[in-house]
Amino acid sequence: MIVAEQKPLSEIKEIIAPYKKILILGCGTCVKTCFAGGEDEVAVLASALRLACKKDGKEIEIEELTIERQCEDEFIRESAPAISRNQGVLSLACGAGVQALARRFAKTPVLPGVNTTFIGVLERQGIFTEECSGCGNCRLDIFGGICPVTRCAKKLLNGPCGGSQNGKCEINPETDCAWQLIIDRLKALGQMDNLRRYIPPKNWRTSLSGGPRKLVREDHII
Amino acid sequence: MDKKFIPKITVFHCINAFSEASWSSVGRDDFEIKFIKLPCSSMVKDVFLLRAFEAGADGVVVLVCPEGQCRYVEGNIRAKKRVAWVQNLLDDIGIGGRRLSLSNMAARDTAAATQIIDDALKNLAELGPNPAA
Repeated sequence: MIVAEQKPLSEIKEIIAPYKKILILGCGTCVKTCFAGGEDEVAVLASALRLACKKDGKEIEIEELTIERQCEDEFIRESAPAISRNQGVLSLACGAGVQALARRFAKTPVLPGVNTTFIGVLERQGIFTEECSGCGNCRLDIFGGICPVTRCAKKLLNGPCGGSQNGKCEINPETDCAWQLIIDRLKALGQMDNLRRYIPPKNWRTSLSGGPRKLVREDHII
Repeated sequence: MDKKFIPKITVFHCINAFSEASWSSVGRDDFEIKFIKLPCSSMVKDVFLLRAFEAGADGVVVLVCPEGQCRYVEGNIRAKKRVAWVQNLLDDIGIGGRRLSLSNMAARDTAAATQIIDDALKNLAELGPNPAA
């Protein structure tokens, strides 16, 4: 999932300051799971902003709505009546959701309420970790399902750096050494021979370094 | 002359920690109190606490079972963490996290409940009315 974190209240207050009627629009998919922008977070933020504005003597009308996904037109459409009633939209979706809304509603300012941080997993309740960099050329088959591009601080593809201690990364002792995990996993799978393969320098053109990417599926285009 | 400040307190409580029936504020007109009972203190969502302040409460008290005695194992710990989170949010809002408190109390310990409310009232006498009410 895409992991995001709600912006500090002070920053959000500054962002919405020019508007008197605002829609806080949540997204019921990734940002809901990471407690940044689902229905509950929309309700809490709306209440917090109402209290903050009242305390500061500022008038504001806040409408709340959460749609299933802000990155797809089919779901965005449901928010059109609410958006038309407001001067601006504070989106609690990831950056893709904010931009998808902005593309569809040309005359309404769409403002970000969260910082989109990474593609990750729920490690355990309340802890999210980055596990994919979206590099565009996945080789998790070789690495036992553990990504050294994302989880090794040095992005090493041909074995560990030698600096890890007790299975922890020398850059951050709270982070597991990805190569320790890869070796443990390959041992368990009986696939240690994978490590004899030389991985040539990675071609980063498939990653964001090659510029914004686009996926075209001709078979779905009518 | 300024009107006398009559604090309004909203109490969210677990039904296993406290019963409104055991509470008596007879003869006291120096505060208003509203009780909201919950099947477990973990049911107190962040937004309920904030909306109590929106509805005009000057202070909010959450009464939970003693640690280790929650019928649902960790409900009171969840409530404690949530209250701490909302206290920080109230500080960010500018109305003050001290207006919100959580107390552990043994079932039907009316004397403890009275003490907790008295402490909250003392706190509110210092803080004054909710500036966002």
